[in-house]
Amino acid sequence: MAVLEEPVKEIKDVKNYINGEWVESKGEIVDVVNPANCKTIGRVPISTKEEIDAAVAAAQEAWPDWRRTTPLARSRILFRLKDLLEENFEEISRIQTQEHGKCIDESRGETRRGIENVEVACGIPTLMQGYYSEDIAHGIDEWVIPTPLGVFGIIGPFNFPWMIPLWSAPYAVATGNCVVIKPSSEVPLSQMKLAELAEEAGFPPGVWNVVNGGRTVVNGMLDHPDIVGITFVGSTPTGRDVIYKRCGETGKRVIAQCGAKNFMTIMPDCNVDRTVTAMMTSFFGNTGQRCLAAANAVIVGDDDAFYRNFVDRVLALTSNIKVGYGLDESVQMGPIRDKAKKEKALRYIETGLKEGAKLLLDGRKVDIIGDYPDTCFIGPTIFEDVRPDSRVGSEEIFGPVMSIMRVKTLEEAIEISNANSFGNGHSIFTSSGKSAREYHYNILSGNVGINIGIVAPMAFFPFSGMKESFYGVLHTQGKEAVRFFTESKVIIQRWF
Amino acid sequence: MELNTASSVISLAREMEETSARFYESLAGQYPASEEMFTGYAKENRKFIKQFETAYYGVITDAIEGCYAFNIDPDKYQLNTELAVGAAVAEAAGKALEIEDSLVRFYTDAAEQSKALLADVPRAFTLITKKRTAREEQIKALQ
Repeated sequence: MAVLEEPVKEIKDVKNYINGEWVESKGEIVDVVNPANCKTIGRVPISTKEEIDAAVAAAQEAWPDWRRTTPLARSRILFRLKDLLEENFEEISRIQTQEHGKCIDESRGETRRGIENVEVACGIPTLMQGYYSEDIAHGIDEWVIPTPLGVFGIIGPFNFPWMIPLWSAPYAVATGNCVVIKPSSEVPLSQMKLAELAEEAGFPPGVWNVVNGGRTVVNGMLDHPDIVGITFVGSTPTGRDVIYKRCGETGKRVIAQCGAKNFMTIMPDCNVDRTVTAMMTSFFGNTGQRCLAAANAVIVGDDDAFYRNFVDRVLALTSNIKVGYGLDESVQMGPIRDKAKKEKALRYIETGLKEGAKLLLDGRKVDIIGDYPDTCFIGPTIFEDVRPDSRVGSEEIFGPVMSIMRVKTLEEAIEISNANSFGNGHSIFTSSGKSAREYHYNILSGNVGINIGIVAPMAFFPFSGMKESFYGVLHTQGKEAVRFFTESKVIIQRWF
Repeated sequence: MELNTASSVISLAREMEETSARFYESLAGQYPASEEMFTGYAKENRKFIKQFETAYYGVITDAIEGCYAFNIDPDKYQLNTELAVGAAVAEAAGKALEIEDSLVRFYTDAAEQSKALLADVPRAFTLITKKRTAREEQIKALQ
């Protein structure tokens, strides 16, 4: 199968997008490297405090006029953006594969999911309508208006470089706010493309800003008095101890979507064929680098024959996963984003062995399709007999590692799932409605799958999370995002 | 090599449709009496491409099993478009039927395999299968 053409052919110098201008940064420059072939495809600045301050100032200045732009006019710009995203769908997708490593089907999926958020935000004239009560007392009426707040910071992760800022940005600007987006410095190119298209769509200068960088930019957002709120997707330590904490200290609204360790419960009455296929995507999709990836397969029941047959089926399918460059259409699993992340996953494999888990499939040995260095590649890995309280069974690995556990009952499966500190995307595979109900009623997880391995909410539903997977109250996407980006202004009126 | 990903199967479908479209365009030039029919087939093939691409790009998301949707062996659906110069129209029709048969088998298998994974894609494949089956009846009339 031929490798699809790369859209980024030369090293791209990434600039900041501030106040409608593409601005060079004075900060240190670091390379953006394609993890599949290890070629440098971009150079991105680690922007300075002055640069984030300039972006916030531009956004703050743009805000009064943007707020006064009618919701219908704002939505028309979003409709134009939606059209441009469709026109550039394939290029956007391939850029993601180049910068991140994910397979082209996964990148296209990411593009589609991002566009869906723009589509939902296009409905802002009705989405942000308030409500009205006549005669709350004689001659007195009361109503509520969702009103925008100002400038929001959006901090994106490396694993879904293009889509995740779109869980927030379309709703923020649709409701009349201005945004400053900080993409992950590892994968900034698809966000640059998005900013180019946002500019073409016609957002006025200062409404949509992008500042590349690292901690300085994040701290600049957290400390800036004109930033009224932040959305963040990333690790739990950063989300909890830095973003959530500092937003609390500085009085900012916050959505902090964090880490995960998702348990997939497999009942003996499941549809085995469909479950096993779903497991491939859930455990190994995006090379395990997603907060909705399943990590632990909890097989329920004391039927040894079922257990052995099921595990054998999983092993057989996993052993045939084609690993390589995501622009090769035959490839099912790409590389891990970078060498350090690969080494972290490898250390967990070592840890699993030390903890006494049985290694059924060793991803340390990997056959790569095509002539690519193995720097960032790791194969799918399966452990059996993993204890839920072991490190491999309880900590987020963020790599293609499946840990198989066995329990006797559904109650036990729910108990070990709930004992984990995370609660992001647990799921059950069963043909029993009773088991499914018992599961979703009792499981402590923000997103729950019933015969769905990746519980990714559609754009018109909130992307939820519980326990150490989420800090905040409202969530990104859909109506909750509209509420997050607006304050309820209540008006009580009487005329004499 | 077997194709497993949705992307690779969509590319294969595109390639097969283009190959058969070019075949029909060449038949249109060779057999003036059936020119309209063959030109129509070539046009329709390109409509089919749009149809399944629209379905695929519309439903593909990271949450479904796009990389594990198929188990298609492309060798089973090879299209042989070689036709001797000056061949009779009946011979050309026979070749066209072979091509249509390969495509019907391909779309039937692809629709079956992707049934539960990409809701609109198997539907698009099934609709194309139906149209191609009807086409086979027209081609048989030339024999």
